[in-house]
Amino acid sequence: MSEYIVRFNVQQRIEHLVTMVVFALLCFTGLPQKFYTTGWAHVLVDVFGGIDNTRAIHRFCGVVLALSTVVHFAMALNTIVGKRTRLSMVPSKQDFTDAIGTLRYYLGVADKAPPFDRYDYRMKFEYWGLVAGNIIMVLTGFVLYFPTLAARVVPGEIIPAAKVAHSNEGLMAFLVITIWHIYNAHLNPDVFPFDTSIFTGKISRERMLHEHPLELARMEGKSLADLGHGHGHGHADAGKMG
Amino acid sequence: MRTTHRALLGLVVALGMGTARGAIPAEQDDCLGCHGSDPSQTMDLPSGEKLSLYVDQEHFAKSVHGEILRCGDCHSDKTGYPHDSKPFKTRRDVTVATYEQCKSCHFANYTKTLDGVHFAIMAKGNRKAALCVDCHGSHDIGRPTEPRARISQTCASCHANVNKVYLGSVHGKGLTAGNQDVPVCTDCHRAHDIADPRDGSLALRTPEVCGRCHTDEKMMKRYGLSTRVVDTYLTDFHGMSASLTKGHARSAKAKDPNRLFAAVCTDCHGVHEISKSKDPGSPVVRANLVKTCRKCHPDATDSFPASWLSHYEPSPQKAPIVWLVQMFYRLMIPFMVGGLVLQIALHLWRVVVNR
Repeated sequence: MSEYIVRFNVQQRIEHLVTMVVFALLCFTGLPQKFYTTGWAHVLVDVFGGIDNTRAIHRFCGVVLALSTVVHFAMALNTIVGKRTRLSMVPSKQDFTDAIGTLRYYLGVADKAPPFDRYDYRMKFEYWGLVAGNIIMVLTGFVLYFPTLAARVVPGEIIPAAKVAHSNEGLMAFLVITIWHIYNAHLNPDVFPFDTSIFTGKISRERMLHEHPLELARMEGKSLADLGHGHGHGHADAGKMG
Repeated sequence: MRTTHRALLGLVVALGMGTARGAIPAEQDDCLGCHGSDPSQTMDLPSGEKLSLYVDQEHFAKSVHGEILRCGDCHSDKTGYPHDSKPFKTRRDVTVATYEQCKSCHFANYTKTLDGVHFAIMAKGNRKAALCVDCHGSHDIGRPTEPRARISQTCASCHANVNKVYLGSVHGKGLTAGNQDVPVCTDCHRAHDIADPRDGSLALRTPEVCGRCHTDEKMMKRYGLSTRVVDTYLTDFHGMSASLTKGHARSAKAKDPNRLFAAVCTDCHGVHEISKSKDPGSPVVRANLVKTCRKCHPDATDSFPASWLSHYEPSPQKAPIVWLVQMFYRLMIPFMVGGLVLQIALHLWRVVVNR
């Protein structure tokens, strides 16, 4: 039994890296457009070389994000059709039970947090939130990119509606990432200062035992009881995000 | 400071009216003995032009300077008799050579002109560009704003075509009818530091230029106009883009003279020809709107203008889809962020308790 377990393959690590870089650039070039009256917005726009350059970068990154989303789903579909994976990211009834169980544990009603599989309910929430957000941002983004073309297909009023949606969904994505993801991947006492698994692909067996005992048990062909899950260590709650 | 100065001037002028024939400082210089008697007194210039040497004493006495200035205050080079002759070839030479006398008193406004378009083209060698006296006059200087309509007439002496267009506009017609609210040339272009309208910086300032009157509740109420026009414009894509371009217009235009900026007030409503937005000829009336959009969006179809909310704020009546989306996020963002923060707080609390 090795000390480390490979949690993410190269493709997943690259996807995260691309999303991370592109998302950050989209925020840096997009938020100044939403908060155009502020001083920092003008400073940022100047850094990117004026509003036209800012917008060119924003659109380029938007297209990359759109493509990466398409590629992601094409590959996921391919894997699912080839039956080479479990549908580990698909939300299930168990996730709701887990969410309630975790809250009960946080509030001190339950003694232990529920044991999680490969992705816990928070990871699934963030993943599907990102997927839904991407779809909204890509669709509304293209409407704003090509407004006259869009007006040929949909009623004109959709264009200002798309602007409101794009601007607010973007802000929400920014807030969710800066608050939730930064907490879970950096500030969470369980992983502080930096959860490196999405970059290295590796996770320690110890953390697997804490955070993904069901997956570990399946990998090692043992039962939860055999793994000794829930004994010894202080906090059994997971916090790492996918 | 300036107001007191003006009030003082006004007082002086008012007093001057009654005593126009009385002793004025100009008489103390003995100049009028020669220059004030013969209206046909002229001097031949090498260009063939005749330079009038006559000063109408009554006229000058009535001018804003009549009670204040002696001849030598402006004609400071004329210190003795006979005068030193200067090599002026044309009447314009005389004007160009003497206009800077104004700055010895009016330094602030003179300094402003150095940033103006007239000075810029004069510096490039166009000697027709307006100097102080071209707009204000010389011996007959009066208050430039009395009456207000005088301003556009002053500009019209060179910019006649623009003035003709302006007089046909909703603002120009108002001015002719004696309306004191409508803008005259200088309200938008300024008087001394007139920006070059071709470099785009004035265009990008139009939201604040037009907004000075069009966000004035009291003034707009008189005409039944909305004061929300500027805010609704600024929150739209055009307004946001224009705001972020402001300050960079000149350098961008310098790089590419054909450079287009996001549409500002005047791009849709027109500039000097501006008409009521409900006027059948207005470029922003529904029937003409596609044509106006096509100025920048050449492939716009008839459905495209509906993407512009006509300065309305989204409401269930005016733009229900936009309003719904706005309401959704107004609830969704606090709910989402609040929920996540709560969960983080609970988690941290659990960590602390477990220790």
